[in-house]
Amino acid sequence: MSNERATRYTNRLRLLAAAVVILVFVSPIYVTIVNAFKSEDDIRANPAAPPLHPTLANLTTAINRPDELLQAGLRNSLIVVACSIVLLIPLTSIFSLYVSRRRTRARAALLALLAAGLMIPPQVVLLPTIQILTAAGLDHSYPGLILSNVAGGYFSFGVFVYTGFMRSVPDEIIEAARLDGASGLRIWWSIVMPLVRPATATVAIFLSLWIWNDFLNPLFILGPLTGQTITTGLYLSVGQYQTSFGQLFGIMFLAGVIPVAGYLFMQKHFVAGLTQGSSK
Amino acid sequence: MLRKRHAALRKCLAAIAAASVLLTAACTEKAKDGQVTLTYMTFNTPSLTAEFWAKSIANAQQKVPGLTVKQLVAPNTDRDAYAKQLQASGQFPDLLQSITPAQYTGAGLLQPYDQAWVDANFLLPQGNAIKSKVYIPPTNSQIIPLVFYNKKLFAQAGVAVPKTWSDFLQACATLKGKGITPIELGGNDPFAAGMPLVGAFSADVLGKNPDWIQKRYAGAVKFTDADVVAAATKVRTLVTNGYFEDGALNVSYADSITNFNAGKAAMYPMGSWYLGSVPKDKWEDIGVFPWPTDDGSLVVPFSVGGSMAINAHTKHMAEATAFAQAWSLDPGNLKALIEGDGAFPMLKGKTLADYSVSVSPVFKDSYAFVTEQNKKVYAIAWATNDDSLPGSLNNDFFAAAQGLFNSGDVAAQMAKLDTSWASATK
Amino acid sequence: MSQRKTQDFGLRTIAGLGLVLYVTFIVVPVFMSLRSSFTDQNPLKSASSFVGLANYREMWQDEELRASVLYTLALAFGVTLAANALGLALALLLNGTGRSYRALRTIAFLPQVVSGIIVGFVWKTILTHDGLLNDVLVSTGVVSAPVDWLGTPGMARLSVGVVVAWVLSGFTTVVYLAALQHIPRELYDSGAIDGAGPVQRFRLITWPMVAPATTISVTISLITVLKLYDIIAVLTAGGPSYATQSTAQYIVKMAFTSDRFGYASAVAMFLLLASAVIALSVTSALRRREIDL
Repeated sequence: MSNERATRYTNRLRLLAAAVVILVFVSPIYVTIVNAFKSEDDIRANPAAPPLHPTLANLTTAINRPDELLQAGLRNSLIVVACSIVLLIPLTSIFSLYVSRRRTRARAALLALLAAGLMIPPQVVLLPTIQILTAAGLDHSYPGLILSNVAGGYFSFGVFVYTGFMRSVPDEIIEAARLDGASGLRIWWSIVMPLVRPATATVAIFLSLWIWNDFLNPLFILGPLTGQTITTGLYLSVGQYQTSFGQLFGIMFLAGVIPVAGYLFMQKHFVAGLTQGSSK
Repeated sequence: MLRKRHAALRKCLAAIAAASVLLTAACTEKAKDGQVTLTYMTFNTPSLTAEFWAKSIANAQQKVPGLTVKQLVAPNTDRDAYAKQLQASGQFPDLLQSITPAQYTGAGLLQPYDQAWVDANFLLPQGNAIKSKVYIPPTNSQIIPLVFYNKKLFAQAGVAVPKTWSDFLQACATLKGKGITPIELGGNDPFAAGMPLVGAFSADVLGKNPDWIQKRYAGAVKFTDADVVAAATKVRTLVTNGYFEDGALNVSYADSITNFNAGKAAMYPMGSWYLGSVPKDKWEDIGVFPWPTDDGSLVVPFSVGGSMAINAHTKHMAEATAFAQAWSLDPGNLKALIEGDGAFPMLKGKTLADYSVSVSPVFKDSYAFVTEQNKKVYAIAWATNDDSLPGSLNNDFFAAAQGLFNSGDVAAQMAKLDTSWASATK
Repeated sequence: MSQRKTQDFGLRTIAGLGLVLYVTFIVVPVFMSLRSSFTDQNPLKSASSFVGLANYREMWQDEELRASVLYTLALAFGVTLAANALGLALALLLNGTGRSYRALRTIAFLPQVVSGIIVGFVWKTILTHDGLLNDVLVSTGVVSAPVDWLGTPGMARLSVGVVVAWVLSGFTTVVYLAALQHIPRELYDSGAIDGAGPVQRFRLITWPMVAPATTISVTISLITVLKLYDIIAVLTAGGPSYATQSTAQYIVKMAFTSDRFGYASAVAMFLLLASAVIALSVTSALRRREIDL
C-alpha cells in the first residue's frame, strides 16, 4: 500500500523534475516569446518573467518596418518551400519506386551515390552551383533556387526515406496492376503513394522545415536583388544595431512563429517520422 | 504499343509544362515598362538610419525623372565584403555607397566621375583618387580616430587633456586610480576594437613616414618592422594596464556609444562620425583631442569619404550618374550627414554656416583639425584612395587589434598581417 | 519484358530526370570545384591560369586554416559528445507515458524548429556584455561583474559549442526517445528481478539497446557541425580575432571576400574529404558495434 503511494510520489517528482529541466532547456525560446510582448523597461527589470503588462508595440513596430522585412521574407520563404516540396515529393518517390525494383547491386550503387549528397557541406558546391545556374540563365531567380533545392541533399533525403518505406509495398499488388496494363506512373499514383503516406508526411515535414530555415543557398543563389527569404532577410536587415531587446525579440518571434506553429500542429507526424526513420 | 507510349509521353510533357508555367507565374515578378530601376547598396548605422536613406534617395530621385532606386542594405559596416559577395554572385549593384574603390578598379568595375565636375565642386578633388581617377565624389571627410573625452570626469579626477603619449598613459592611470574607467572600446565589433591601433599606427608610423603604405606595396617595409611593433605594443600596454572597460571585446559598438554618452568611461577613441551621436544635453560635456604622439606634435589621421561609386557596367549610365551627382551635391543630405554622422563637408565654396546646421562645440573643435593647416596622414584601414589596403587587410587589421587583447606576442600579430598581405596581393 | 519497359516509361523518364538533376547539382559541382582548385581563379582578375598544386601547398602552410580546422574538429567531436549525452539523459527523463510527458517531448524538440539565424540572434542577445544572462547573474549576485561570454577567444569558442550543442540536443533527444520506447519493458522487469540496480540496468540493457539510435545520432551530429555556418555567422562572425572561425566559414570568406575562388575550392576539397572520412569511419565503427551488440 505504502509502496504504491511511494511509487506515485516518485512518479510525480520525476514529472516535476522533467518539467523543470525541459523548461530550463528551452528557456531561450521561452525568453523570446515572453519578451516579445514586454516593454523595454519590463524586459530589463526581469528578463525571465512573463509579461505582466503585455504590449503589442514590438510586434507592430516589426510589421511596420519600411523594408517590410517580415512580410516579404515570410512570403518568399513560403513560395520557395511550397514550390520545392511540390517538386520534390513526386521526384523522390518516383525515383525510389523505380530504384527499389531494380537489381540490388545497381540499387546499392545509386544509394551510395546519393549518400554523398547528404554529407557534402554546401560551401563546397556553392560556387559551382552559381556558375551552373548562371550558365542556364537561372541565377538570382526563384526557379534557380528551387531547382538547386530539388537537386541537392534534400533529394537524397527524400529518396532514402521513400526507399525505406518502399520495402513495405507488396510486390504482388504491383505485379497485378502491371498485368492489368497499368502504366508505371499510374501504379505510382494510385497504388504506391497511398501506401507510403507516412513517408510522404515525413519527407514533406522535414524538408519543409529545412528548406524554410536554409540560409547559405538563398543568400548567394537567390540574392538580395530578387528577394529575401525570412532567414536571409533577418541576417541582412536586423544587423548590428538592435540595442532594443524588445524590438529584437519581437522580430524573432514573428519570424519563428510560423515554423513553430506548424511544428506544434504536426508534431505527431514529426515524432512518428523520426521514429520510423531511426528504426530503419 | 506505340500509342500507349505516346500517351504516356504526352502526359509527362503536359505535366511538366503545366508545372513550369505555374511556377513561372507564381515565382517571377513582372518587369515595369518605361521606368529605369537602379540598385543602390547602402548600409545602416545608428546615425545613418533607414529614414535617412529613404529621404535622401527620394530627394535625389526627384532630380532624375522616371527613376526608381532600389536599396540593397549591407548587413553590417563591412560594405566591401558585401559588395564583393554581390559581385561574385553576379549582382554587382549599379551604385555603391562608401566602398573602397581600389579593390574593384583592378577589374574595371567602377566608372570614374567626370574630372571637370569633380574639380568644380569639391575642396579636395583628388582626396580619394585612385591613380588620379575619382570613383567616389569627395563630399566629406572624417578623422579616424579622435579621442573624445568626458570633461566632467576629467575634472573630477583632476586630469588635464594629454598632449604626449606619456601624458596619456598618466591620465589613464589617474582615472583608473579614481575608479573611473579610462577608455570605452566596444570591441565586439572589429572596427571599433581597431580604433586604438589605427590611432597609434597613424600617429607614430604614418606620422614619420606618410607614404608607408606605398612602401609596403613596394615591399620596402613590413608590419613586423620595429616602428610598427612599437606602435602596436602601445595598444598592448593599454590592455595589460587594464585601461579599457571590463570585457571590452564583449561590448558591442552600439552599446559603447550608449556607455560613453552615459558617462561610464572617461575617453572614447572613435571615428569622427561619433559626433553625430553626441546627445544634445551633453554638448557642453564632451571634448576632443587627437591621438597623442610621443613628442606631442599634431598628426591628424584623415580620410576623405564620399558618397557613391558607379558600376562601370550599369545598363543606365546616364541615370546613374545623374542620380549620384544629385545625391552628392544635395545640401539637405549633407546637412543630415553633418548633424547625424559628424561628417566634415568638403564642398567647394561652402562653409559650415552655409548648411544651416546646428552642431556641438566639440564638432567645431574637431572640424578645426580639418580646416587648419597641419600634418594630415591617411588613416590606415580607412583610407579609400591609393593608400587603401588590399584584399581583406582591413578586417585582418581589426582582427589583429582584437588579438592584442588576448596575446602578448605583438610581433606575431603583426606577422599575421604580413602573411595576409602576401596572400591578398597574390 | 518490353511491355514493362513501355509501362515504366513515365517512371523511367522522371527517375532519370531526378538523377540528371542530382548529378548536375551535386556531382558536377564537386568536379568543377576540384578543377578550380588547381587554378588561381579570381572574379576580380580577368584571366585565371593553371597553378598545379600551388593552392594545396599554400593550404599546408596556412595558419589561419589550420586554426579553423582544429576548431572545427574540436567543435564537431565536442558538440557531438555533449549533444548525445544530453540527448540520452533528456530522453531517459522524458520516457514516460501520459499527456504531460508527450507535451514535454514536443517542447524538447523546439530548438530544431527555429532557424539557425534566429538561434544566433537570440543567443547573442543573451550572451552579450549587457545581455540577458549577465543582467540576471549580476542582479541576483551570482557574479559581481558581467561575464565575458563572447569576448575572449576561449569563452567565445565555448559559447559557440554550447549553443550548437543546445540546438543538436533537440534532435538527439527525439532520436533516443524513439529508441527507448522500443525497448520492451520485460527486459527491465527481469533485470530488476535479477537484482540489477538502475546503473547496471542502464549499462547492460539501455545502452546496448539504443545502439542503432546512437549510430544515427552521432553520425548526423558530426555531419551537421562540419557543415555549420549560419549560427556561427550570427553569433560571433568567426571572431573575436577569427577564434571561432570554422573551416566552412573560411571557405566562404576566401571565396566571397578575398575573391580567391581557386584557393577556396582547394580548401573545400579538403573539407569534403575530411567530412567523408570522418562520417564514413565513425558510421562504420558504430554499425559494427551495433552488430556486435
